[in-house]
This record gives sequence, C-alpha cells and structure tokens, in this order.
Amino acid sequence: MAQRNSTRRRQQKSESFMDYSLLFIVLFLLGFGMVMVFSTSSYEANLDFGDSTHYLKQQLFATILGLIVMIVVSNIPYHFWERFAALAYIVSAVLILLIIPFGHEAGGATRWLYIGPISLQVAEVAKVGMILFLASLICIMGKRIRTRKGFWTVLLVPAPIAVMIWQITNNLSSAIIIMGIAVLMLFVSCPDYKRFILLGLATVAGAAVVVFAVVQMAQSQADSVNFRGARILAWLDPEAYASGKGFQTLQALYAIGSGGVLGKGLGMSMQKRGFLPEAQNDMIFSIICEELGLFGGIAVIVMFLLLIWRLMIIANNAPDLFGALLVVGVMGHIAIQVILNIAVVTNTIPNTGISLPFISYGGSSVMFLLIEIGLVLSVAKGIRLKDL
Amino acid sequence: MAKEIPYLHKTYHRSKTVAVFFLCFIVFIGLAGRLAYLMIFQSEYYTQKAKELHERERSIKAARGRIIDANGKILADNKTVCTISVIHSQITNPEEVIEVLCRELELSEEYVRKRVEKRSSIEKIRSNVDKSTGDVIRSYEMDGVKVDEDYKRYYPYDTLASKVLGFTGGDNQGIIGLEVIYEEYLQGQAGTILTVTDAKGVELAEEGEERVEPVSGQDLYISLDMNIQSYATQLALQTMETKEADSVSILVMNPQNGEVLAMVNVPEFNLNDPYTLPNGMDSAAFSEEKKQELLNAMWRNGCINDTYEPGSTFKIVTAAAGLESGMVKTTDTFSCPGFIMVEDRKIRCHKVGGHGAEDFVQGTMNSCNPVFITVGLRIGVERYYSYFRQFGLLEKTGIDLPGEAGTIMHKMENIGPVELATISFGQSFQITPIQLATTASSIVNGGRRITPHFAVKTAAADGSHMELFTYPVRENVVSAETSETMRYILEQVVADGSGRNGAVEGYRIGGKTATSQTLPRGSGRYIASFLGFAPADNPQVLAVAIINNPKGTYYGGQIAAPVIRQLFENILPYLEKIDYNVTGSTDGSLGKD
Repeated sequence: MAQRNSTRRRQQKSESFMDYSLLFIVLFLLGFGMVMVFSTSSYEANLDFGDSTHYLKQQLFATILGLIVMIVVSNIPYHFWERFAALAYIVSAVLILLIIPFGHEAGGATRWLYIGPISLQVAEVAKVGMILFLASLICIMGKRIRTRKGFWTVLLVPAPIAVMIWQITNNLSSAIIIMGIAVLMLFVSCPDYKRFILLGLATVAGAAVVVFAVVQMAQSQADSVNFRGARILAWLDPEAYASGKGFQTLQALYAIGSGGVLGKGLGMSMQKRGFLPEAQNDMIFSIICEELGLFGGIAVIVMFLLLIWRLMIIANNAPDLFGALLVVGVMGHIAIQVILNIAVVTNTIPNTGISLPFISYGGSSVMFLLIEIGLVLSVAKGIRLKDL
Repeated sequence: MAKEIPYLHKTYHRSKTVAVFFLCFIVFIGLAGRLAYLMIFQSEYYTQKAKELHERERSIKAARGRIIDANGKILADNKTVCTISVIHSQITNPEEVIEVLCRELELSEEYVRKRVEKRSSIEKIRSNVDKSTGDVIRSYEMDGVKVDEDYKRYYPYDTLASKVLGFTGGDNQGIIGLEVIYEEYLQGQAGTILTVTDAKGVELAEEGEERVEPVSGQDLYISLDMNIQSYATQLALQTMETKEADSVSILVMNPQNGEVLAMVNVPEFNLNDPYTLPNGMDSAAFSEEKKQELLNAMWRNGCINDTYEPGSTFKIVTAAAGLESGMVKTTDTFSCPGFIMVEDRKIRCHKVGGHGAEDFVQGTMNSCNPVFITVGLRIGVERYYSYFRQFGLLEKTGIDLPGEAGTIMHKMENIGPVELATISFGQSFQITPIQLATTASSIVNGGRRITPHFAVKTAAADGSHMELFTYPVRENVVSAETSETMRYILEQVVADGSGRNGAVEGYRIGGKTATSQTLPRGSGRYIASFLGFAPADNPQVLAVAIINNPKGTYYGGQIAAPVIRQLFENILPYLEKIDYNVTGSTDGSLGKD
C-alpha cells in the first residue's frame, strides 16, 4: 500500500511532464518513414493503381489515427490497464483463433482480420497484449519470479500464443518477437544472469544444429528440404537460389550494395522499380541504403539506438516495477524487431518477414507501436523531474 | 522496510535494463559493421550486378566490310534487312502479334507462340527479313514488337568466284572462302544500345540510353579481276559442257608477285543462296548429314582443297631440277624407243613407236617420258627430293583461303628407282593446282618462290586505316639462268611442240600440257590440263586449266591448251591496258615492259 501511495504522490507533483525527447524521436522516425514509404511505393503504386500516393495515403491515415490513440493512451494512467492484463491475453488468443474462420489472406499468409474497413494484423495486438500481461504477471509473482518455477512460468505462459501465431498465421517472426519480449522482461525482473546465459547459449546451439541439419539434408536429398529449410540454404548462398527463396534477399543486397557510401539520392532507387517487390514493406531498409547510402543507413540505426536509449532511461526511472516492465517490454519489442529486420535485409540471418518499426508500410504495425509509445509516455509522466 | 524492497529491486532492474541496452548497442554496432562491409567493400560487386539487372542491351550490327576487285567492282556488299523481335512485357495483344508474325514471316504458329509467350526481356523471332516485310510488320504498330534494321551480306554477281569469296552465316560471320580468312577485318565491331529499364522491361526515359556506335568492317581489296574471272568462268562452263567433264578449274595468276587474277571452279554455286543443292537434287530427299556432305562438296574449291597427280606439267619441275643440278643440258641427246627399262619394269612412252633421237629441248617439246625418266634417274633420289623441298613442293603455298590441301608424297626412304621414274613425269604423288601454278611461277619468274594470294589491302570505306598486306617471297629457288632456260624450253613447247594448241598469234607463250590418268588406273578417267604463261620471255600472267574426266578426247594438248589459248587471246590485250603491278603489291618492282 505504501508503494502505491507514494506513486500517486509523485504523479500529482509532475502531472504535466511529457518526454519530448522520446516523442520527437518517434515523430522523426514516423516522418522519415512516410517519406521513404512514398519513395519506395510511388513507382509501383502508379503502375498498379494509377496513384503514386496510394500507399502513402493509407500510411498517413494509420499514422494520424495512431497518434490520436497514442495521445489518449498517454493521458490515461498506465495502472488503468493493469486490470485488463488477463483479458488482453484472452483477447489475443481469441483473435488469433478467429483467423481460422475469418482470416484474410495476402501474400500467401493468412494474418489479417477485417473489421469494417480496417484490416487488423492480430500478431500486433498479441505483442501489446503480451507486454501488458507479462508486466502484470511479473508484478503479481513478486519474489517468486526468482524460483525455477517462476522462471519457467514466465517463459511458458506466452508460449501458447507464440505457437498459435507461428502455426495459424504462419508468422514465425512474430512468434520469435513475442518470446523475445518475454525473455527480456524476465531477464530484467530476475537478478540471475547464469540462467539467461545458458538460455542464450542453448538458443545459439539449437540454431546451429538446425542449420547444420538442413545443410546435411540438402546434400543427401535435395528435394526434401521444406519451406524453411530452403530459406536457410538460400541464406547461406542467395545467388544459388536467385530465382527462388534467395530472390528477395539478393535484390535487397543489390540495393544495399549499389547504394555505396553516399547513396543514389532520395527517390533515385532503381531496385524499387519492380526489381524488389513491395519495397515499402519489410525490405524498406535496403532502399533507404540504396538511396541514402551508408550514411543514411547508419543514421537510421543511430535513431533507433537513441530511441532504445530513451526507453532505457524511462524504464530505469519509472515510478514502479509495473511501469518499468511495460517500458522494458516496449523497448524489447522495438529493439528485437529493428535488429531482426536489419539482420534479414543484410542477409545476416535467414529471411523471415519482419517490418522495420515506424518506417515500413503497414497500418496495424504503426497503430500498435504508437499505442505502446502512448503507454511509455504515460509511464514517463510518473517520473519526477529530479529523478532524471 | 516496505520502501526499501522496491528500491533494492530497482537496483538490479536498472542494471539489467542497462545490460539490455548495451546488448542491443553491441548488436547494432555489429549490424552497422555488416552494413559498412556490404556498402563499401562489396559495393562494386553489387553495383555491377544491379547494373546488369537494370540495363537491357540491344546490339547494333556493324556493316561488314565489302570485298572489292582489282577494278574497284564490289563483289560482296551489304543490303538492309530487318530483325524482328518481341519484348514479352510490352505485348498488349499477344494473339494479334502471333497471328501477324505467323502470316508475314511465314512461320509456324507453334514456333512464334513459344517465343511470344516466353518470359524473357527480348526474344528474337527472325533475322534477315526483307526490308519490305519489316516495313509491313512495322506498319501494324503492335506493342512489344520491335523491328530493327541491320545488314545482310549480298553478292551482286551471284555465282562469280563463289568458292573464292565464300559467304556468311546468320550472324554475318564468314563461313567459307575469303569471308572466313579475313573475318577480323571484315566483321567490324557491333555496337550496343544500353537502356535502363524497370523490372518489367519498360524503358525508363529519364535514365536516357547509352549508345555505343558500331564500327563498320574494313573493305577488302583483292587482286581478283572480275572481268577475267567472268570470262574464265564462261570458258570453263563451255568446256565442261562440250567435253561433258565433271568439273573444270581455271587459275590465273601473276607469276611475278603471286596475285591471283581468277580462280574458277565450275560448277560454281549461288552465294546468295548457298544452302540450295545443285539442280536436280531435292534437299528433302537427304538426311541432314548427307545434305551437309553434299553442300560441303558443292562449296569445295578444287584449286586448293583437292590434290591430283599433275602428270606431264610436272616435267617443268624435273627439267628445272635437272638443269639446276647440271645433270642435263639443253643439248644433251637422248633416244626414245617408245619405252624405257627401270630395273625390271618397262615404262612406256605415250608415243608407242618412240620419238627416236632427240635433244633435251625436243624431248620436252615431245613430252617424252623416257627422256624425263633418264634425267630423273641422273639426278638421283636424294638430290631430286632436296629440289622437291627447295621448290616448296613439300609445304603448302600459304594462299589466303581456308583448307588448303598439302602435298601427298612418298617418304624419301621409300623412293626407289621406279618411284623416282614415275615422279619424274608427274605420277605417283599428288599436289594441288595452286601448288603447281605457284611452283611453275617461281621456276619461270627468275627463281623467286612467291606466295599466291588474293588480298592486296584493307581500308575503311572512307579510305582511312589502310593496311597493305605483304607476303613472303623466297629468292633463288632456281638460278636466273635455269629460269631463263626453262622459259625458252617452255616457249618451244608451245611454239612447235605438244602445246602448240596453246599458241596465240602475236604473243610469246610458254607452257606445258598434261594428261593424267586418275586413280585407280584403268578406270578410263583422265585429267587433261595445260599450264601456260605469257609473255614467254618475261611472264606477267600464268594460267592453268584442269579438265576433270572429259568424255571423248582427253589429251591435255588437245582440249586444255585451247582453253588457255582462248583465255589468253582475250585477256592478254586486256591486261596490256591495265598495269596490275600498281595495285599495291609488295614486290611489284618488276613492272610490265
């Protein structure tokens, strides 16, 4: 009780605090994203819809809507959401299950639900839901989190959602992100290091075994390598699979490599002209590199680093554990997604569909990221200025 | 205490959050490093790859160099034709395209459909289409159909010197003849149009196009004289017809420098239609292999690709060797009883009763075998063989045409007296007609072994970049005295000997006849030939006529000598008006008197 009382006192003292640094970084990324979405999509949009701003308009609409929701959320004390934590978990699960009868297919995967005119990517809902649910769960568990049972509880509770996303919506990357968020939140809330190092090593070893197994399989019987196995082979040698699984990666590499240090200039990308399909989506970073060069690419990485740094500051100054965990969840979400996206685009890891936060085209993604930023801003409001 | 617990918690929460941040920081640094590697060190590689992907290359054919005769007449030219191709992504009405192309190009629907529906950036449907047909197709203005103009080889005189000039294939590359040998001069350099396109192959106008202009091939100036060639062709055709011969070859060259003025091998073929078999042969009746064999036979240049036993014309060589070695003098006397015994073999003279007593000049005039056998045996195997080599008979002449056949000769250790005897009058070994003409030229021209050739120079159409060709000349193959003696003896052969049918009134002609039986002996097939040159005291033109398997009279003196006489009657007055030694030949120092 004492803790809650003190929190409330702090809130009252600094009611008007707004983390403008975070807000500006986010607004900058959104604005930059909009420019790049227009740059990457205008050529194909013009060919396909006769309107070069087709994708830009949709993105603009989702962004404005997202900003409004963000402002609303940021003005609601974040503890308000704590009571909906269990509900968030259930709603995520139900939405994913609804995909089976009502899902909308695009690009070979069924990931979208249509609610009126708005299409909703359920994995994005699940990510926010999971952050809220885990933050709440960890707070309720308190010291029990340090036990082995507590450790496995936090790891296993999100697993069903992740497995459902993976299997039902055929979206391995979102499943990985959800598990990654869980691991990071658990890491922060647990004093232990050893287990996490072991977990990390086990993951790396597991990945190595899978890669090795796929390569062995490909050498013995070339035909039997399945969808994901082929991805791994294409990752190891994209040029050998240039017309199949390695196509997108190779086109992205052409874009990045041909950008050089200074880039071809904004709007001057060649690869976006049909060579790299849907360049405004997951592979947008490669076009950024092609047009703006190594400097542009590094600048984007630096912006995300600033964003994550800012989130770290907010998490570490959050008035209570729940707030801190919410921010850590958001930080983990964004960091994992940025890292995986850039790693995929540069062919550092096998290809899997992950969008670049705030920049890639995609309404659901931007909407829910802004909701998360809204939550963070709400947490930030609880920070007393002198704590900073 | 209640206040302390969250504080303590927050300590490790904080450090762990910082740990997460630094973990991210390290990964970000790693990714930035990866990015820098791709964009700095791999940049060149991927830029090149991307450029290849973005650019569509269309080649512009270069005009092939012309082939021009000694008078400046164009023997091989270019005419404008069209190449029809389709660009898959730009086709809006594939059915119309297929229908029109099938109709206008007379192609099967299956063939056209396969190419129209193939997903490639540009697909060639047909090349070498007449300009008029190309214009018709262009007039349909169908999307995705490209009509590009380029050049096709065209031979204004159809069959003239077909086996010398040769023809070109679908990509304008030389296939036989001079077209092959001078490919590097004639072909020129194809140009390219590089256009930047999007993934669908649509050209991006704002990127412009990069154009590399084609460089036309060099014109080839040859020594062949179209007037002499066409007259020789007429003569050869006439002879082939009246003598019902299998083929007739006539070779005319300048014995002073090796320039070939005419090389006729009838039947010739039409250079503008080189894949049609000779009259009366239905190409559909043969297998591909058989058809190719027949075509190769049709394209064969008998003067250089085929060898034969030269017979009595080779007595020129024996006589020169005998005189040069001192084993015989013009005044030496011989007696011919109609045969000669070599070891246990009795070798007959063509005159059954024998020529009786005769000196060496008379023996040559009579083409008396016993005389030449005697001279050959006097020279001996080793010496004869060394003269054979010295005259250049063991090597190819080096003429600038492809596929020259080598000499088929005994090995020296296998030559006994009988073999030497037969070699002495031109049997039991084989040489090409060009080899005979070249060797005879070097014996009568003062002893210089020249290289027979056609090409005189190449130059760009505007006369720039001229390049003169030089050919090797070997001096002192025979001494000047021997050469002079040979000219005298051979003039006597024509003036009052077996070659008298080759005489031309008002001109001094030297020459030698030959009648050789082809292998196998007794088949009744003969080759009648005559080698003549004029003027006899300073030869400026040397001609060989070879009649292969004539019916009826088959003696060279009777049927081949008149051919050369007719040729000389017509070309000697003509040649006097033209000074060929000015055409740029390298050793033209010995000008015409």
